[in-house]
Amino acid sequence: MKRLLLLALAAGTAAHAQRPTIDISGARVQAYPIALAPPSGAPDGSDVMDVLAADFDRSGLFRLLDPRSFLADPAKEGSSASTIDFSKWTAVGAQALVKAAAKVEGDTVKVDFRLFDVPHASEMLRGEYSAPRAALRQIAHRFGDDVVRAFTQEPGIFQTRIAYVRETENGKQIAVADSDGYAPQQLTSGSINLLPAWMPGGRSLAFSSFRNGAGAHLYQVDLATRAVQPLVTMGDFATGAVFSPDGIRFAFSASQAENTDIWLSPIEGGAVRRLTDSRGIDISASWSPDGKRIAFVSDRAGSPQIYTMAIDGSDVRRVTFQGNYNQEPAWSPKGDLIAFSGRDEHRVFDLYVVNVQTGKVGRLTQSEGTNEKPSWAPNGRLLVFSSTRSGKKQLWTILPDGSNPRQITNDPRGASDAAWGPLAGK
Amino acid sequence: MTEARPQTVYRSLLGGDARIGWLGPGLLLAIALHVLVVAAAFFLPRLLDRPHALRKPVIAHLVALGKPRDPQLLPRKESEPPAAASAPAKPAAPSKAASGPPRQLSRQEMMERALAGAARRTQDEKPDPERAGQETGSPSGTAASAEEGEKYFGEVEDRIHANYVVPSVISERERLYLSATVVIYIGRDGSIVKHVMTKPSGNSFIDQALVLAIQRTRLPAPPAELARLVRDEGLEINFKP
Repeated sequence: MKRLLLLALAAGTAAHAQRPTIDISGARVQAYPIALAPPSGAPDGSDVMDVLAADFDRSGLFRLLDPRSFLADPAKEGSSASTIDFSKWTAVGAQALVKAAAKVEGDTVKVDFRLFDVPHASEMLRGEYSAPRAALRQIAHRFGDDVVRAFTQEPGIFQTRIAYVRETENGKQIAVADSDGYAPQQLTSGSINLLPAWMPGGRSLAFSSFRNGAGAHLYQVDLATRAVQPLVTMGDFATGAVFSPDGIRFAFSASQAENTDIWLSPIEGGAVRRLTDSRGIDISASWSPDGKRIAFVSDRAGSPQIYTMAIDGSDVRRVTFQGNYNQEPAWSPKGDLIAFSGRDEHRVFDLYVVNVQTGKVGRLTQSEGTNEKPSWAPNGRLLVFSSTRSGKKQLWTILPDGSNPRQITNDPRGASDAAWGPLAGK
Repeated sequence: MTEARPQTVYRSLLGGDARIGWLGPGLLLAIALHVLVVAAAFFLPRLLDRPHALRKPVIAHLVALGKPRDPQLLPRKESEPPAAASAPAKPAAPSKAASGPPRQLSRQEMMERALAGAARRTQDEKPDPERAGQETGSPSGTAASAEEGEKYFGEVEDRIHANYVVPSVISERERLYLSATVVIYIGRDGSIVKHVMTKPSGNSFIDQALVLAIQRTRLPAPPAELARLVRDEGLEINFKP
C-alpha cells in the first residue's frame, strides 16, 4: 500500500512538474544547395546554364555545388526521376537538381529544363524554354524565375531590369540593363542626367536633367522610342521623382523661394501640392509599399536624417537618430525596413537598414569603399547599390542582411544611381 | 430417515460470513484508501507545488570583449564581411573543365580540400578592431551587454542557436512569421535522448531544419540540480523567427 501511494504520488507530481521553457529566435538563413548537371545536347545549353548559375548565385537563395564533386554521370543517368540515382546527388549534399537538354532549330534555341527535389526523389518542375539565339540569356532568366516561384511561391526577379546612370564622355546618361547587368541600353545622349525612376507600367523612366540649361528638372523617356518629354519644370529645380505604388501620383523634390520641399503631383497632370514646409531641406522621397506614407530626408533637426510622413504631409516621424548624415531612403517592398546610406565616423558612406517599427539600425556594408543609393528588388530579397570597392563606382547587388555582394556592371567610366524596375508584366 | 443433502449457499463476500471473518469490511477499507490515495496524488501537488523557478529561465550570454560603442554613432556590422566580397566582375560560371566525366574524390582528397578551405577562411577572417563589447568581456562573447540568468539554459540556447538555420527558399512571409515548439529530453551526459515536435510550424522545410538543428547540437551535461528535470520533463524550446 505504501508503495502504491508513493507511485501514485510520483505519477501525479510528474504529470504536474514544471517544464522549463526557452525561446530561440534569429534563425540564420542558409542558401539551398542545388546541383546544376552539365546539360546535354547543343553547346548553347552550357551558355544558358552559365547564366542560370550566375542568377542563382547572385540571388542568395541557392548554393551552387561544385560540378567536380558530382558522383553521378549526368550523361548516363538520363533526366527522369525513374532513371536518376538520387542517392548520388544526396551524397554530394544536393537538395535540388537541375537537368537540361538543348537543341537548335534554325535560329531558335530550345532547352528542356527539369527541376528535381532530391530528398523526395521527385520532379518539381519541367518545361521547354525557347528564344532566338540573340536572346539566349532570357531562357535562363525565365526558368530561373520559375524555379524561385516553385520553391518560395514568390515571383523571381531574374527577368527584371535595372535603370541607372552611366558615366560617359558626354556626361552622365540614363541607361537600363538586365538584372544581371547584361544587355545595357543607353537612353539619353547629352547633358547631365540623374536619378532615374521607373514609371508605372515599366515602359518609361522619369529622370532629372539639366538639359534646359536652367537647373535640373524632371523629364521622362520612353524605353522603346527613347523619346524624351518634360515632366515637371516648376521652381528653381525639381528632381527625384518617385511614383506611388498605385501609379496615380508621384512625389518629387522642388525648390521655390530658396526652400526645398517634397511635393506631390497627379500623374495625369494637374495641381501639385507641397507636403513639407520646414525651413530645412526636404528631399529624396520614397513611398511605403502600401502608398500611405513617404520616407524622406530632412535636415530640419540640424543634420540630414530619415523621416516619414503621411501622404498629406501630416504625422511626421523621425526614423534615424544615429550618425550625422543619413540620406537616400528606400522603403522595402515588405514595408518593414528602410534602406539608406549613412556617413559613419570615418566619413565614408555605407549602406544601412532601419526597422520602421523599432528604429533599430543594421549595417550592410563596411570597410569596402563608398557605398550609396540603395534600391530594392521588387521581391524584397535583394538590393542594388553603387560601390567603389572594385575601383570605379559600379553597381552591386547585396542581400538585406549584408551578405553575398555581387558586382553586376563593369562600365569603363562607372555606373551609379540604380533603380530596380518592376516585375515583368507589372 | 432422511439424510441432509449438501446445499450450495451463495453469500455475499461483503455479508459478514463467519467463514470470511473480517475480510469484507477490510476490502471496503482498502477501496476507500485507494480512492483517497489517487485523489491525494491528483490534488496534493496542486496544493503544495509552487511555480518552478526555472519555468521561464532568463538566458545568460557572454559579453564580447571590446569598447562600448557610442550610441550616437551608426552601428558596425555584426559580423565581418564575407570573403565573397571580393567577387569577380562577372559571376563565376561553372568551369568548362567541369563538364567532363566526373571523378570520385578519394576520402583523403576531400579531407585535404576541407582543411585547405577552413585554413583559407581562417586567414581571411580579420578581427574587427572596433568590435563593440565591454572591456571586461570575453573574447568569445556574443553579446554587447550582459544579461543574468540560468547559465546552463543560456548555453543550451547558444548551442542550439548556432545550428538554427532555415533554408533560404522558404517564402519570406513564412520565414518571418512561423514558429514551432520542440521538447528535448537531455540525459545526464548532455545527450539529447529524445525530441518531440509538439507544435510544428506548418512548413516542412522549417520543421526539417529544426529537427536537424536539434540533431546537430551537442550539449554539455546539465548541473546536478537540473539533471532530473531536463531528463524527465524535458526542456521546451519555442523557435521563433
